[in-house]
Amino acid sequence: MRRVLLLALRDLRLEVRDRSGLLSLLAFFAVMLFIMALALGPEEGSLRRAAPGVLWVALAFMSTLLSTRAFALEVEDGTLDDLLLTPGGKEWIYFGKLLFQVLLLLPLSLLALFMAAGLFYLPLEQGLPLFLTLVLGVLGYASVATFYAGLLARLRGREALLPLLLFSLVVPVVLASVRATAGLLEGLPLGEVASWWQLLLVFDVVYVTASALLFPVVLEG
Amino acid sequence: MLKAANPDRPDLLTWAFLALGLALLPVGLYVALSAPPDVNQGYLARIMYLHVPTAWLGYLAFFVTFLYSLLYLFRQDPRHDRVAMASAEIGLVFMGLALVTGMLWARPTWGVYWTWEPRLTTTAILFAVYVGYFLLRGAIEDPELRRKAAAAVGVLGFINVPISYMSVKWWRSLHQTQSIDLTTGKIHMAPEMLQALLFNLLVFTLLYLGFVRFRGFLAALEARKEEA
Repeated sequence: MRRVLLLALRDLRLEVRDRSGLLSLLAFFAVMLFIMALALGPEEGSLRRAAPGVLWVALAFMSTLLSTRAFALEVEDGTLDDLLLTPGGKEWIYFGKLLFQVLLLLPLSLLALFMAAGLFYLPLEQGLPLFLTLVLGVLGYASVATFYAGLLARLRGREALLPLLLFSLVVPVVLASVRATAGLLEGLPLGEVASWWQLLLVFDVVYVTASALLFPVVLEG
Repeated sequence: MLKAANPDRPDLLTWAFLALGLALLPVGLYVALSAPPDVNQGYLARIMYLHVPTAWLGYLAFFVTFLYSLLYLFRQDPRHDRVAMASAEIGLVFMGLALVTGMLWARPTWGVYWTWEPRLTTTAILFAVYVGYFLLRGAIEDPELRRKAAAAVGVLGFINVPISYMSVKWWRSLHQTQSIDLTTGKIHMAPEMLQALLFNLLVFTLLYLGFVRFRGFLAALEARKEEA
């Protein structure tokens, strides 16, 4: 458990010190929202209807960009082998990287939510349920992203391959998140949105467990 | 479903499955075309005898891929990977057929070829996952990494199969619920139609078994050539 925290915090510190990576991610996200807002037209109604979809598609792109960074430094500096050499199970590497991704993605996605709210006339009254949707969606996304980033860490051309793999597997998560967000924004009662949260939760649990179990098998050798 | 490490030709069982499946295919067609028409849909319901078996076999094939992918991850035997790949390929073909026959049925029934309701959406996602499976296989040069990455997709991608199967119940969608419900064991279908459906299911299962074994044999030949 301590190792997981240490690994995640170390990665976070590296990422925050570097800054340029994070800033470029945010800039990318902002530009994307601008383009979408321009493309979808100036009417408030159509923008508002498109907002949940735009938000999650943009988040999906952003976290794909982010996920390649999970293992990029380790491979560059050759420290992945050091991590693998530590005694005991290998699951903690996965959990550490997952925690790092989630910790980084959550503030970013909160910022993204505010940006989207500003550009797409989103009402933010139901802040807490929206945040819950963000947490569940981000966790589901990061679980698969971290797994594949680790699997393809040593592969050349992984930047092209990763989105391809990720998007097909992560579609259910995006779908459920979009539906939950749309439901919240339309002002549906929480009971109706809850079924989407359940689905998200099921995906999160299944993806995290399956990835954690498979990760050691896949990474060795 | 495993074969010897280095077969020279497909074994007898493969030929038996293929021959039996192909021979029974016209019989299945005859049975399906002579089944009584549906009360509501009339003769249109007959597309079901093709649609349901292909969809089922798509699910089954992906389940086999899931099993052999797991086996590969824990045993690291390339033969398991070959079966997983063969089954995914045949499953993709069957799933595609199920989508196409479903669309042909949907046009006169619902008025559109495609609609974004849960069953169709989850099935399309499933299809996309396994297309991704083959794109991945094509993109990685190193055979061992390729097998591992493919196995991981085979395991994680299978999660969509139960969702696709259960989607008609969970979301009470436009698509009808199962006529033969595997979760409760209840059957909502006239006996004559059920017989025709089960017969066609048998034929397609035979074909599936034959195809997978044959494809596994081809994959073994490819692997031998890659090594040489």
